[in-house]
Order: sequence, then C-alpha cells, then structure tokens
Amino acid sequence: MIGVELRKLFRRPRTWITIALLNALPVLVAVLLKVTDLAPRPGEGPAFLSAVLTNGTLYPLAALAIVLPLFLPIAVAVVAGDAVAGEAQGGTLRYLLARPAGRTRLLVAKLVAVIAFVLVTVVIVAAVGYVVGTALFEVQSLGATTGISGTSLTPEQVAGRTLLSIGYITVSMLGVAAFALFFSTLTDSPQLATLGALAVLIGSSLLFTLDAASDIAPYLPTRYWLSFVDFFREPILWRNITRGLGLQAVYVVVLLGAAWANFTTKDVTS
Amino acid sequence: MLRRRWRWAVVALGLAVLVSLPALVEALPAADRDVSAGELRERVLASDDVAFSGYAISTGGLTLPVSDALTGVADLLSDQTSLRAWYRGADDWRVDVVTATGETGTHRDATGTWTWDYADQAASRGTLPPLALPTAPDLLPSALGRRLLSEATDDELSRIAPARVAGVDAPGLRYTPADTAASVSAVDVWVDPGTGLPLRVVVRGGDTTTPALDTRFLDLSLATPDASTTDFRPPPGADIRSDQDLTDVDLGRQERADLPATLADLGRRGFDGVPEQIGVYGSGITVLAVSALPGRAAAALRDQLAATPGAVTDDLGVRIAAGPLALMVAGTSTRDGGTGTYLLAGTVTLDALATAARQIQEAAS
Repeated sequence: MIGVELRKLFRRPRTWITIALLNALPVLVAVLLKVTDLAPRPGEGPAFLSAVLTNGTLYPLAALAIVLPLFLPIAVAVVAGDAVAGEAQGGTLRYLLARPAGRTRLLVAKLVAVIAFVLVTVVIVAAVGYVVGTALFEVQSLGATTGISGTSLTPEQVAGRTLLSIGYITVSMLGVAAFALFFSTLTDSPQLATLGALAVLIGSSLLFTLDAASDIAPYLPTRYWLSFVDFFREPILWRNITRGLGLQAVYVVVLLGAAWANFTTKDVTS
Repeated sequence: MLRRRWRWAVVALGLAVLVSLPALVEALPAADRDVSAGELRERVLASDDVAFSGYAISTGGLTLPVSDALTGVADLLSDQTSLRAWYRGADDWRVDVVTATGETGTHRDATGTWTWDYADQAASRGTLPPLALPTAPDLLPSALGRRLLSEATDDELSRIAPARVAGVDAPGLRYTPADTAASVSAVDVWVDPGTGLPLRVVVRGGDTTTPALDTRFLDLSLATPDASTTDFRPPPGADIRSDQDLTDVDLGRQERADLPATLADLGRRGFDGVPEQIGVYGSGITVLAVSALPGRAAAALRDQLAATPGAVTDDLGVRIAAGPLALMVAGTSTRDGGTGTYLLAGTVTLDALATAARQIQEAAS
C-alpha cells in the first residue's frame, strides 16, 4: 500500500509543480544578489544569505532559510491536507477502504508518502541551491568558511553540517504534516485541512514574537525551526536542536494518534 | 460506540501525560542543605577557580530611556539574553551571546579579551580597563553572584528556600543591603552546594514583584572545557578593532573641582587609571557612579530624561528611576556660568541622588 501511495503522489504533475514553484524564490533571490551585489548584513535577513556572495557553497542553506518560514510549510500543508480529505472529496476514499488492508495501514501509507514528499522537496531545494550558488557566486575550494562563532570550518565540515541541517529541516516539517493529516481526517475538504494547518503555523509564529507568550513558547510548533543555524556554531549548540526534534516527535505522535482515533472510527460515506 | 471511546481515551491520556510532565517535574521540591548564610557566601567567593560550561538566560526587567551610545547596556537590562559559557579559570573563559541567526562571543585570555561579532564580521581587542560598562559576560550567574556577594556582610545575609536550577538542588541565600541609600531591596542567589558556583541570581527593586534582573543557568556541566574552545584567533578577512574604554570618553575641556570623598554617605572607591572626573561610590550592591559630562552631551541626555514618565525636575537637575536603577543629569554648564554638568547613575534612591548632586555642587562652588 505504501508503494501505491508513493507512486500516486510522485506521478501527479501538481506535486512537481509545487516543488518547482518552491525553488523559484531562492533562484530569484540568487539572481538578484548576483545582479545587484547587495547581500544583507550577517545576522540580518534569511540565515546565511549574507555569506553567499563570497562562498556559493553556502547557498543550499540560504535557499532553505528562504523557503522555511512560509513556502515550505505551505507546500507540506497542501500535500498532507489532501492526503485523506482529497480522496473523500474525489469520492475514492470508500473504494480505498473496501480493500482488506484496513484504515490504520492506509493512514500509515499516507504518512509515509507525506514524509517522502518533505524529504524529496528539502533535498531538491538544497540541490538547486547548490547548483545556483556555485554557478553564480564565488566558490572557496581551498579556503575555510568562517562559522558563526568566528572559527574556521573546513569544506568537509560545511558539507556535513549542511546534510545535518537538511535532516533537521525535514523533521521540523513533520509537525506541519501531522497537523494537516489530522485535519484531513476531520473534513472532506482538502482546502479546509490545509488552511487549518496554516492557521496553526501562523498562530504559532505570531505567539513566538510576543513576550507575554514566553511561557508557552517552548511548546509552539515553529519555536525551534531556525535552530538548524546552531549546527554552524563552534562547538555545535545541541540544546535547541534536540528540543526541536523532541517537540516535533511529540506533535507527530499526538496528532497521528488523534488522526488514527478519528479515522478508524469515523463513518466514511464518500 | 465503546470502540470509538477507547481510542480517543488512549489519545487523551497520552496527551495529558505529555502536557503535565514538565509541570510535575518542576513541582518536585528541591532538597536543602544544612549550611549557614555566611558559609554559603564563603563558598561562592571561593568558586572562581571552578571550571564549568553551560547555557544561561538572563532576563532584565528595566526600561532605560538612554541614548544610542548606551543601547548595549539598555538591552542587557531590559531584554532576554541567551548566554553560552565555557570557563577554565578567571583569565581563561568564553561567553557567547547567542541570537537566532548570529552571536557575539567574548574570549578572555591572560592579557585581555577578544570580542567576535558575527553581524559586523569584526574582532575587537580589549585590554582589561579598571572600570567598564556592564557587558553580557557580567550577567552570567556565576560572575554576577560572586560580584554582588563579594562585599556583603554577614548581617546582611540570610538563608531562603532552596530551588532546583539546571537540575541541581541549590540552597538559597538572600542579601538585603543595609545602606539607607540602597534602592535594591534584595539579591537572591542559589548556589551549587558542591562547588559554591552561583546558579541563579535575582535582583529585586523596592516595590515591585517583577525582578529587575533574573539570570540563571539552564544547563551546567562541571567538566573542564577544552582550551581550544575558549581560545580565539581572528578569522582571515575579519575587521580587527580595539575596544573603547572609559579613558577614551570625551569629558569636556573645562577645568572642574575635584569630586568629594563621600556622596550621600557612600565612600569613594579608588581605581587606578580612571580619569579624576569619574568617581565611583558605595559598596556591595549599593553603588553610585558620577561622571563629568561635556555640555552638548548633557543637553541631549537631560531632554531625554525629562521626557520620561515619572521624571523629577528641579534646580538640581533631572532624575529618574527605572526599577532600582536611578539616573540623573545634574548641575549647569560652565558656559552658562554654572559649575559643570554631571551624570549620576547607580543603584541608589532618588533622594540619595539629590543629596549627591547637592554635595557635588557645594564642593564645586
């Protein structure tokens, strides 16, 4: 069943259109930087964007930082929100459930497909970022890159930490996917499920900026998204990274539990 | 129907456990130690050779109406600052101020400090001035606790309830300053019972429940950090600068009378290498700093203070209080026939500031 869901997702033209649109913004930003030679100051604007003019190999990180706050979660919410509600809206859900595989397995297959989408999307954004970055900007093939702490990072260290960041950002998106998947089992409208997940994210991002909400900040789903930057401190600051991973795990477990409790007991009529 | 219920019950139970776990852990009482307040203070003062690394946050509760020149200090006292620290000894440590996408690291070595600023891509060398404005490393609980308790007397100390800080059951100590001029009502310090390292410091002003400053470790390890972690070499391509210190400050060209030996019953402290027109008075947590101000700087600062709600303006000058911190621009410019303008700042009451301003004027005329 997992294979069926993966094939279905990646054979859809709209999956690839989503990924292509997601890459458009970082490419546009790279071209503008190249043409104007105006990068933001370090510590301002999207993370790492300041450093790419002198080191194009950092552009995968800058590209991910550009899409992380909004574009990437929207894409994930659209795909995950469509997972169950899309079948219900299309009238195909009851045929899927007529197979003997069971509802829990269908939900797991949908989840695996969404995780695969997140991973593929993040890797493609990073890969396109690498190609664009090394084509448009200088590449320090021998020299070391200055990390956030003012220490030098070798090209191998930069590559390794970039891979860790890709993994971390993928995990960060799983919370969004879990929200959208849960809402997708509540409604027959994929748009409603997507909007529900986005409402949670916008609410979370807003609360994070409020001092009055500082007591609940550690539990907000977007709280630790930017912590991939901590891979580039020396020594690596693991505190927020491990908290970010733990928080996403809790959201995924709770929301998938709720999705499972709801989906396996609901009356499917469409 | 029953089938439906048990699934939701499992999810609800799981959620309840996850949500209540942090609160339950926090509610566990911390164990106390049988140690007197004086003994605890001795342990704190002897802790400057205890190596550690850790992560701390400092939350300032003050709103300072100060000019652009002092935004660094104002931010420290009004915002939340995240600090990462590695400490090998009194002259070998590193403290980073961590922000979401950058950091500023201070590396101390035997002869001075290197400060790395990622936003400016600049490394700045400082040479340990005798007197300096507070910086982020001063807010680390270990440094602040030792400094604030260093001049406390046994009469001013008492024990308070223990607290769990960074996973340690830490006995508590309260320092209530006896000076009548004091505006800080109490300083609470929780201490690692094994090493004497201050783990949390809370500074309280007179009449408010919000602390003026609350700084505490969230993570702490007592293993000695690597020398390579505290060491610093400016990276290639970085801008290299020198720290400004108080001897570089323009205090105006006019000749002025010497500052008195005592102000508002607080004795003057001596510092080598500090200009005569800058004086520091008091001890412990009750400290008053006085500096001559050039007329042009005084006018701008005086207007800024006068516009602050609650500012007191009279013939002595303009004074305000931000929590336990008091600021005053006193006197009149020599150009206007006065005896010169002065900036007074410290953890003293507004009455003590007024008394000090009057005494400076009397000494000058």
